[in-house]
Amino acid sequence: MFMLAYDPTTNPLNNNEWSFPLLEIIHISGFTLSIGTIAIVDFRLLGLAMKYVKPAQLLKEMAPWTLVGLVIMLISGPLIFSSDPLMYLYNESFRFKMGALLLAIIYNYTIHRMVASRDSSPGVAKVVGAISLLLWISVVAGGLFIAFY
Amino acid sequence: MSIAESIQSIGFLTQLRESALVYPIIMTTHLSCIAIFGGLILMTDMRLLGLALRSRSVTDVVGQFRIWKRIGFCVMITMGVLLASCEAEKYTPNPYFWAKMSLLVLVGVHAAIFRKSVYNSTEEIDRAPAIPARAKLAGASSLILWLSILSMGRLIGYWEPPKVTQASPTVTATAHVPR
Repeated sequence: MFMLAYDPTTNPLNNNEWSFPLLEIIHISGFTLSIGTIAIVDFRLLGLAMKYVKPAQLLKEMAPWTLVGLVIMLISGPLIFSSDPLMYLYNESFRFKMGALLLAIIYNYTIHRMVASRDSSPGVAKVVGAISLLLWISVVAGGLFIAFY
Repeated sequence: MSIAESIQSIGFLTQLRESALVYPIIMTTHLSCIAIFGGLILMTDMRLLGLALRSRSVTDVVGQFRIWKRIGFCVMITMGVLLASCEAEKYTPNPYFWAKMSLLVLVGVHAAIFRKSVYNSTEEIDRAPAIPARAKLAGASSLILWLSILSMGRLIGYWEPPKVTQASPTVTATAHVPR
């Protein structure tokens, strides 16, 4: 119902030239920080980098940065959304992105965290790391495709 | 035919530009590379600044991330070249595109300045009682450079060529001039 009362043209985001691209830049920087630090743990789980560190130690050091990135991304994202809520809600790619994002966040703080903080078998670790990368790439892809579909 | 026009007229680049699926997929690959490999750059810089991964030596972080940063950089550049060349006519007048290219040249300058004293002398840095200023400078300037490159990249999409003055309004205007 609130949608009916909300007029995007009154949103300051739509009334100056710089706020929208600036928000997007903040959004991209935020997800580079969060996805990038998650990917470092994934690379370790896949056995591709930082082999001298236990995944648990790496996760412990990356987690605060991941969280900072997530917060930046989850503040800038909804602000971008507020510029044109109906367009986003009717956009297939946006809905896909939201689904993938929800899955990725839940996965990151459950299965991914569990496997990374224990001495899991290399096989399990590899599958979990690969799924994590794929989930986050789907989120990025969903976001980009909003502009195309 | 201008150079930009002839570049983007190359067969596969025309197909790429006109493809409803391949073009966004290449963009997605470019952006995913930023997300995945950008984190490696970010964390290397943070380590040099002494802000992250402090339990690991600089040698370990720089050495372990190096190959992946290179691979990521190559994929990212390849996708970027495809994106820019298939729309060469749009990109060449765009000031943000040239700002981004200049900043990428500065990345090369950054490497030339710091490779020997920082990235290839990490053991010396690890032995020092505190992180040397040159290492912090390398980390901080790399961070600023890459964030600027990311920003310029996004702004490319917002620039519009100045509108060519159209003939019709002038005609209308003259029509209203009192005789």
